Amino acid sequence: MGVKIERFPGGDYILTTADFMANWARESSLWPLTFGLACCAIEMMGAYASRFDFDRFGVIPRPSPRQADVMIIAGTVVKKMAEPIYRIYHQMPEPKFVISMGSCANCGGPYYDSYSVVKGVDKIIPVDIYIAGCPPRPEALQYAVIKLQEKIRRLKPTQSNATPDQEKGSRTW
Amino acid sequence: MTFQEVLEKIKAKFSSITVPEPSPVKGYSTAKLSAKEDLFPLMKMLKEDLGFDYLDFVTAVDWKGPVDPKGYIMDPNPNPFLPEGATPQSMPEAPTPGFPYRENFEVVYALTNLKERIKIFVRLEIPRSGAAVDSVVSLWKTADWQEREVFDLLGVIFTNHPNLKKILTPDFIAGHPLRKDYAHVKDQYD
Repeated sequence: MGVKIERFPGGDYILTTADFMANWARESSLWPLTFGLACCAIEMMGAYASRFDFDRFGVIPRPSPRQADVMIIAGTVVKKMAEPIYRIYHQMPEPKFVISMGSCANCGGPYYDSYSVVKGVDKIIPVDIYIAGCPPRPEALQYAVIKLQEKIRRLKPTQSNATPDQEKGSRTW
Repeated sequence: MTFQEVLEKIKAKFSSITVPEPSPVKGYSTAKLSAKEDLFPLMKMLKEDLGFDYLDFVTAVDWKGPVDPKGYIMDPNPNPFLPEGATPQSMPEAPTPGFPYRENFEVVYALTNLKERIKIFVRLEIPRSGAAVDSVVSLWKTADWQEREVFDLLGVIFTNHPNLKKILTPDFIAGHPLRKDYAHVKDQYD
């Protein structure tokens, strides 16, 4: 990647690229939606609390999808919840990212043979990061956020006409 | 007042009541009813004359034996590390020899007399085909959602219920999922 920030000689200015600035702002304040579905949400709350301290990453839960950048699908997605999740996802402003937390959100998990569980949240919305575990530990969720930051760093918002959704290579919905 | 006194009083009025065996649930005594028409008068008597003012829950049991599940995404060999043609890990459920399987639903009511601190189960077996019992919503308002749940998951019709419709499963799920012979139809989320 090389040096992206350069001090202008003899002045109060720095030189950088617009891509780097935009990505730096995006990755440093990933605000997730306050949204939990099942027992994975307990681990997510633990990650927010003082022992694991998600604030260090700039991850501060927001009460409204209009203010959120990330949606953490923490728990089992039942078929009755699929429609609200789809609607909340489309209420979030671009750029938006989705972390699928735990076996149930990844693929249905232990409820795969059930009549009421969606077999993976990626059947309804595009997912950026999958975390394995049942439930994953708070460290795993923080690792997922670090991986998402790496993914955001590779985006080039100024060099193509693609929307961030298409930049990520996600399906268009 | 003890359970024996309650039993004597209701037995004097309803001849179809039997006491099968000690209830396996702690603190509850069981009265088994065999005539469907007696259910509502019995419940009315239990509430108004004998002081059972609290309905713990309404539920139902499907006593049909194991059947081959239809429509589920059942992988007979779910372990990807097993070689092709190996013995399946999950075998279909085998019926327990000697167990009295029967083509019946058993509707269970748990009642509590809060003043006297006695609890009673009322059990009623009805045939699985066209299962219908009287609703007790007019006696206990608690029964409203519970009877809707039993209807949604097991398909027992509660006659005279004010609003008998689905409560838990989404609208596109057809059938009653907790019935033993439920056949799942794949939807857009499977």
